[in-house]
Amino acid sequence: MTKYIIVRTVWVFIILITILSLNFTILKLAPAFPPTTEEARDIYYAKQVSDGYMTIELIESSADISDIRSGEVEICDGCYSVDRGGDIIRMYKPVPLANQYFSWVKNIVTRWDWGLSTRVQTNVPVFDLLKARIPVTLRLNLVALIFYIPAGFGLGIVAALWKDSWLDNLISFIVMVFISVPSFVVMTLLVMYLGFRWEILPTQWLASDQAFSLVWKGYIIPVLGLSFGAIAGLTRFTRAELTEVLTSEFLLLARTKGLKRSQAVVRHAMRNSMVPLVPTIIFSFVGLLSGSVIVEQIYGIPGTGRLFIQALTIGSLDYNMLLASTAFYTTIGLFAVLLVDLSYGIVDPRIRMGARK
Amino acid sequence: MNELRDYENLNPDDFKLVQKEDKIYDKKFETKPIGYFKDALIRFRKNKTNMVATSILFFLIACSILIPAFSTKNVTAIEEQLSFLPPRIPLIEKLGIYNGTKEYVGQIIDLDTIDPVTGIGYPEGFPAEAIVEGTLENYTEACTLKDERCAGGETVLRLDPNALYVQVESNESFVFVPENSPILKVNVQSVDQGAKLNIYVTPVFGDELVKVATITEAGEYSINIYDVVPEAFVNTKVVFELKAANNEVTVALTSVSLSDSSQAEPLVHVEGYELSKYEISGGAGLYVRQNGEFLLTRFVIDEYAVAFAEKLERFFPSSEYDQILADFADVCIQEPDPDNSEGWLFGEGCPITKVEKKIAGIKVAGIDYSQYRLYLDYAVYNGYDEVPFFLFGTSDAGRDVFTLIWVALRTSLLIGFTVAFINIAIGVVFGSISGYYGGLVDLLMQRFAEVLGRIPWLVTLSIFIALLGPGITTLIFILIVNGWIGIAATTRTQFYRYKGREYVLASRTLGAKDSRLIFRHILPNGIGTIITASVLTIPYVIFTESTISYLGYGIGHGQTFRVFGVEFSGVSIGVLLSDGRTELLNNPHLVLFPAIIISVLMITFNMFGNALRDAFNPALRGSE
Repeated sequence: MTKYIIVRTVWVFIILITILSLNFTILKLAPAFPPTTEEARDIYYAKQVSDGYMTIELIESSADISDIRSGEVEICDGCYSVDRGGDIIRMYKPVPLANQYFSWVKNIVTRWDWGLSTRVQTNVPVFDLLKARIPVTLRLNLVALIFYIPAGFGLGIVAALWKDSWLDNLISFIVMVFISVPSFVVMTLLVMYLGFRWEILPTQWLASDQAFSLVWKGYIIPVLGLSFGAIAGLTRFTRAELTEVLTSEFLLLARTKGLKRSQAVVRHAMRNSMVPLVPTIIFSFVGLLSGSVIVEQIYGIPGTGRLFIQALTIGSLDYNMLLASTAFYTTIGLFAVLLVDLSYGIVDPRIRMGARK
Repeated sequence: MNELRDYENLNPDDFKLVQKEDKIYDKKFETKPIGYFKDALIRFRKNKTNMVATSILFFLIACSILIPAFSTKNVTAIEEQLSFLPPRIPLIEKLGIYNGTKEYVGQIIDLDTIDPVTGIGYPEGFPAEAIVEGTLENYTEACTLKDERCAGGETVLRLDPNALYVQVESNESFVFVPENSPILKVNVQSVDQGAKLNIYVTPVFGDELVKVATITEAGEYSINIYDVVPEAFVNTKVVFELKAANNEVTVALTSVSLSDSSQAEPLVHVEGYELSKYEISGGAGLYVRQNGEFLLTRFVIDEYAVAFAEKLERFFPSSEYDQILADFADVCIQEPDPDNSEGWLFGEGCPITKVEKKIAGIKVAGIDYSQYRLYLDYAVYNGYDEVPFFLFGTSDAGRDVFTLIWVALRTSLLIGFTVAFINIAIGVVFGSISGYYGGLVDLLMQRFAEVLGRIPWLVTLSIFIALLGPGITTLIFILIVNGWIGIAATTRTQFYRYKGREYVLASRTLGAKDSRLIFRHILPNGIGTIITASVLTIPYVIFTESTISYLGYGIGHGQTFRVFGVEFSGVSIGVLLSDGRTELLNNPHLVLFPAIIISVLMITFNMFGNALRDAFNPALRGSE
């Protein structure tokens, strides 16, 4: 078991590092979008030098200066020159990509420095921006989790216990609708009807400094939009699991020994069918989290997803922000995978992961 | 009982043995054998709900192919005049819904149009003749705006906390003529307990304010200024001052007027908006309105009548004018206009009804470039004999949403099928190799697939957007990067299942090569499961495509791409929904119809896929 845990943990870290490195390398190959104002750009390039992504070269010889000013000498690719007149030109040159990569790793590992934002909020450390948004996203997702688990369980249990009745058919139809309709369509329709048409819920996220009696209303639409798909998945899974357990021999034995149906279902069937559901729920949380990007965008929720979309504005990309926010999502996703792998052994002792025969 | 009794006297000649003489060694079955696919088809047909879903799905696909091909409506050009028309559906319009009308509430009234008899005024900026009869209503809404249209009410002078006094000064000068015994009337609606309202007059060129009255209670006050202050002020302004010992008091003024004996009507009468225009001249406080009434209208308007009404074109280019005359040569016959010597008229059926005048232009290289000021018959101009039906309304650019939806669906389906095809190809090949060879190859390929599969879509999205920018290529790449992994896994499982079977071993012993074993023996046996897994990727791809396009990173308006000589629009269902996002309140039809179509498509596609899975693989029924 210990060996299994170690192997899985190492493997998850390998995947994480691979994805982040790949992301960094490819984004560095794309055209850069430094800050727009000159002042911010100076700070940005100074930081690039101190972070080890660029070197600065002072061009002082008058011959070289006049060459550059007249445009005879091409400025190298990715270089940036600061020419404020006078007899000096400051030339920023990027270092090779491999060196940049090692500087990037060093900055993160030693100083937890993810760089400065270039476009979203110029020259603010991206991790600070992200940190401020994480609570909003997590709160929303946790509320959705708390909402959808009982709903999914309930529907699944009802469908399994009354299998093949009209109730079961109705639930399977609802599940089909929930799974099929994209969350942004659900969100848009909810905003349109509940928000604009009937005016019972706000059409946009409410700032959290308002009274709680108002703020909780702002949660309803995004939570519904997020959890429809998850409810459907959980319902399906619960139904399948419970149906299987209900037809198993040990339940028949329990009934033969004189337990009432309710006793057999609650004490034996439910408990056993819950086991495989734990990993499903952990996975669905990851699903919720990445699904919340679009929900945040539609409902104007100031969370990490919105930050990601802002950083991904066409023609004004903020690479540091993109790297940090994707790292956030990737890390959570991979650790959920790890948790699932490990939880198999913990919630169900019958499963001995990685054990030899 | 009769029937039973009949058995007793059966005729033995009616019976004969099938095989009396001939022996059967090998004879063909008289009924056809039921193969794997036929068996699946029979099972598939049995499920009625899924048959309905499948029919709807194929109907949608057929519509997406046929309707764009036969529709004559505009889906590409920008027709500003036709933008945001509500849906209008034949037959259903008689029920009063989807009849091309739209209700407007809270539109500003045009004060000049108020009918003296009925008292009803028409809204500003809407043609009166298009308003549906009997729906026009005027109503008032409370307002506190300092606006001309906000009538009546009082103006409240509020003293700031910690302030000693606040003063407002009248804008107009009150002209007092002593001989006519002028009387200043002030109507005070309320005065707070402990507050004191002092009224002063001020000579225009003077310096000191002269107090004429102190009011502490609500009521109407008439002040004869010459009684209080005998020195004559010919031309003065009035100042109201609010003072109080305890803070935050208010006083509400209704009107201020000046009358004298020279005429019955007051000389100056200020109330409502005019009164609220007075400005604070000293002290600290607020001067705001309350209980004002804003006159608004509520009505239902026939948007089609508005859109297809005669339209004045102020600068109509002569090139287009000549083109129209050439196109409609048989009906566009010029007639003189008796009322306008500069212009001329055209007969019935011509897109141009009346030309007011020709605006002199310039001559370049012998061609005359000039403009006309004329009236267009918009329906004829757009090539419609009568007012058309836009079943699902029109978009912001005046495009027909009904046709647009099918055009978009065609694009969505094309992307769905193409990407699914690529994913299936990659997945089957990858899964086959991995599953067939097993061992280290399998291990390495599985690890590779796992790393790729764990990349969140946000990462792939950011990478491809940064490298390639939004567009069809980006979209397809994003959908392919880890879309094939599920199919590869299914294929691999199938290979593991069948590669150890005896018939494979037998074939291998007979010297069959790997390719023969894979393509002749293993793949055909596992194909059913692979097909169903593949069919279910199509709705998933459409789902993801619409999500990405909705966020604005996929395709969009103005993009087109050609596949096998057919031009596909860059508009997909996700793009349509994204367009309608800002119009949720005023034009819900822009979102409603695409949302319904994509939902129905996804539901039926999933049901079709599940039915297919159940048919091919009855053991899996009910799970997932």
